[in-house]
Amino acid sequence: MKWSGYNNLEELTEYDDADLDFLKRRIVFAGLIVLCFAAIIIARLWFLQVHKGDEYRDRADNNRVRVREVAAPRGNIFDAKNRKMVTNRPSFNVVLVREDSNDVDKLLKKLATALDLDISMLWEKLRDASTKPRHIPVRLLVDVDWQTLAYVENHNQEFPGIRIETTPARVYHYENLAAHAIGYLGEISKKELAARDSDIYTGGDLIGKMGLERLRETDLRGEKGSSSSEVNARGFEQQLLKSIEPLPGNDIQLTIDAELQKVAEDLMDSGGKAGAVVAMEVKTGRMLALASNPVLPLNQFVGGISHKNWNALLDNEKHPLINKVVQAMYPPGSTYKMITAMAGLSTGVIDKDTVFYCPGFYTFGNRRYHCWKHSGHGAVNLKRAISESCDVYFYQVGLRVGVDKLAEFANKFGLGHKSGIELEHEKSGLTPTKEWKRKKYGQKWQDGETLSVAIGQGFNLVTPLQICLMTATIANGGKQYLPQIIEKVTDPDGKIIEQFEPVVVTEMTGDEQFLPLIREGMEEVIQGRRGTARQVRIKGLTIGGKTGTAQVVRLKEYKHLKEEDIPYKFRDHAWFTCYAPAEDPEIAVTVLVEHGLHGGSGAGPVARAILEAYFSGYLQLHEETEKAAKEEEE
Amino acid sequence: MFRIDRRFFQNFDWILLLLLLGVAGMALMNLYSASYPPSPWGMPPFVKQCYLFLFGMLCILFILFFDYRELHFWNYPFYVLIIILLLLVLFVGNSAGGAQRWINLGFFRLQPSELAKLMLVVTLASYYSRKEQTEGYGIRDMITPVLLTLLPFLLIMKQPDLGTALMLGIIFVSMTVFAKIRLQTYGLGLVLGGAAGVFAWFFLLRDYQKRRIETLLNPAKDPMGQGYQILQSKIAVGSGGVGGKGYLEGTQGHLHFLPERHTDFAFSVWGEEWGFAGSLFFLGVYFTMLFWGLYVAMTARDRFGVFLSFGVVMLIFWQAVINLLMILGFLPVVGIPLPLVSYGGSSLLTTLLGLGILMNVRMRRFQTGQNADKMK
Repeated sequence: MKWSGYNNLEELTEYDDADLDFLKRRIVFAGLIVLCFAAIIIARLWFLQVHKGDEYRDRADNNRVRVREVAAPRGNIFDAKNRKMVTNRPSFNVVLVREDSNDVDKLLKKLATALDLDISMLWEKLRDASTKPRHIPVRLLVDVDWQTLAYVENHNQEFPGIRIETTPARVYHYENLAAHAIGYLGEISKKELAARDSDIYTGGDLIGKMGLERLRETDLRGEKGSSSSEVNARGFEQQLLKSIEPLPGNDIQLTIDAELQKVAEDLMDSGGKAGAVVAMEVKTGRMLALASNPVLPLNQFVGGISHKNWNALLDNEKHPLINKVVQAMYPPGSTYKMITAMAGLSTGVIDKDTVFYCPGFYTFGNRRYHCWKHSGHGAVNLKRAISESCDVYFYQVGLRVGVDKLAEFANKFGLGHKSGIELEHEKSGLTPTKEWKRKKYGQKWQDGETLSVAIGQGFNLVTPLQICLMTATIANGGKQYLPQIIEKVTDPDGKIIEQFEPVVVTEMTGDEQFLPLIREGMEEVIQGRRGTARQVRIKGLTIGGKTGTAQVVRLKEYKHLKEEDIPYKFRDHAWFTCYAPAEDPEIAVTVLVEHGLHGGSGAGPVARAILEAYFSGYLQLHEETEKAAKEEEE
Repeated sequence: MFRIDRRFFQNFDWILLLLLLGVAGMALMNLYSASYPPSPWGMPPFVKQCYLFLFGMLCILFILFFDYRELHFWNYPFYVLIIILLLLVLFVGNSAGGAQRWINLGFFRLQPSELAKLMLVVTLASYYSRKEQTEGYGIRDMITPVLLTLLPFLLIMKQPDLGTALMLGIIFVSMTVFAKIRLQTYGLGLVLGGAAGVFAWFFLLRDYQKRRIETLLNPAKDPMGQGYQILQSKIAVGSGGVGGKGYLEGTQGHLHFLPERHTDFAFSVWGEEWGFAGSLFFLGVYFTMLFWGLYVAMTARDRFGVFLSFGVVMLIFWQAVINLLMILGFLPVVGIPLPLVSYGGSSLLTTLLGLGILMNVRMRRFQTGQNADKMK
């Protein structure tokens, strides 16, 4: 039988006695090594079983070693000025160690009557833990109050197996401030548990479920400690054998300024406004405020949110669950006109002196496209077109450059794609092109649609963050910064692990020469005699900005109604975006008020308040010098 | 076809078979106790392991009909097959959201990494026996075996299965040192090994694996759970005392003691129930089996036989030593089973196949070329 490719196995065989002898000597040596190890193992066995046998038998009979996990305090979250935003406090849980109770049924009944609890809830907790070893504590009650704590502590003889454990719980120093960005914790789910390293997480652990708490979980979580102690047969700890201190998580400092954030949220709240406020440093990309209203009630999520509350949040027509800064998309309205202007200037379709006549409408094909000012603006140049937001002027520019050119410039200013900010579920928005429409609807682009796009209506969709980035790019001379919300991450020893660095994503080459013209128009919006946002004016501060109204529906039946009579959800959205100081811009602020009707009146005041808060020191100084100057004159 | 004649029985290695049956018998008994009381669902581990043992014995019988020298040839397809299986595990296994080390065959889950250990023994034995160097191996001679070892090593590391990867390294070192290498090759090997270690530390090892190594170097910084397992294991073994608590009487093993009490910690159960006396008896049989394996190597008729049997012995020996030292609290938990004893199909089959090769070498030690041909 031939099983292999070899005809003759002898070819493969070598008989070299000398060499074999050499190997065999080595085998003897290997045998000695094996013998050594055998001796070591036997000696060790002797030591454990004979020498210390009685001691270990004792321990096995009476004592068991318990290893308890000690939860690590989660990292703290601070604001830009080092104010505490989220820290920890001790929370006390009532736990049951099943192994130490000889009659769990009786014990639970007793506990339920003593503390007035629902016994089926307790059993449910036990059932969830039924697969775990019996010495692992089962949490029956989480974060109990002082009375319960004192009662259980004082009567611990009556409840064998019931114990109190201490775990860190989150404290929110500013309640729901920046809730969407910070996020919340929840008990780790079975699915999450399966996907994660079992050395780090065990059932019952808290884990970030949303926002930075989720995104920065690895930074914040720290490392659990443990304490091993001997427990006698009755479950009482005899002695501590070893304890390893937990390692606290890393602290995170945000770029968000709690004060500005508060101003933003309070103002939106007090007006009952829903929407978003974004404020950023134009020369760094630091986000100073990111408000989304209505805010998320964080405290409802601690310990798991109830069905009732969850449904209430879902059904709320103001959508508190959505982080409107990045997750909600709206037509940009007139705030888009800077894009149209840039496209016009860059392609040479207009220059700063080009004048179009506005009779209050523009006829294209067989349709009339109206300007918001029905009486018309008359002859308008670029500066006036921006400051008075003349639609007709931009219809003309838009038609001349075409929709694809508009999209190209929109992209240059950060519209139509995700910014990369560290927030969840960021939407990219939409800048329509001919190609896009062909793909999506299989239809040819109509030039009439370009008119809508040119004034920021139609298919255009943006997030409030994108409009803020656009404003910052206009203000800083053409640089697009990556928006960032983390100033630094420090480990428990105070060593800096991560430090904010401005990141320039793209920079304009050439086109930035036209930005001053745009800014001139935007400054006229506020300081100008006929600007659309004169009420935002602040004494001593020159501001550049733009209002916008985003149409929600075009329903004939509401056409003739007074604005306040239109049902809430059909009212237009109000935009206002601005930067200041005009001489050397530092901050850009964008406000969107959902169904807030007009940019100037609906969104302007919020932006104004933020600017006042941000420049408060500077404005005070300005006022004092003015006073002094006046007194001198007198 | 095969002619089974007298000589098959004459030359058959009855002693090794006896030792093997002794160890396996004790192991199955122990497994019954370790998984006691039986759980109401599924096939008890004990029964499953019995089936696998019988299957393994059939494999040994099959192996005995071939001359071990044919492994020179068969080694290549086996090598390729195992590498393919390892890759398969990597790609298929990742879907389970974590480390997966096996290919599910329905009846049992095959761990290619276990088979890879034996394959490496055969591969290296084949290489070193054909490449003779009276002066010892130089650096250039080492390139091939290093690469042959590195490929499965890295694949297993990636699973990640630190214990098995470590075993491959140990097998490689044992067999290479055995084959005699030049002094400067040692030097270079140490440098490269160190560099690879540093590289692995920073780029390959996962956090929990690092923590295990740190535990070894610095026991005071003990991660959750491991200290507990080791301590429990020590208490179990120690509480067995001189005479043990008696079969099925162990308390530590039957309480919540260890999730792996019938796998890696099988010997803790034995030590608790049979005490020092029983442990000595067990180790006596086990180590006699190993020494017999070395004796087979001593009496083999050619270089290949020597290397093969030596490699198989080392494969079993090092796993046993590491496992026992871990149980007795000298080493961190690395996840290396006790061959023949721990519950686990792949490990059992691999060990049995290895022992089959040993028997094969033993049986054919007296044949000259002519006899060998007659055997077929």
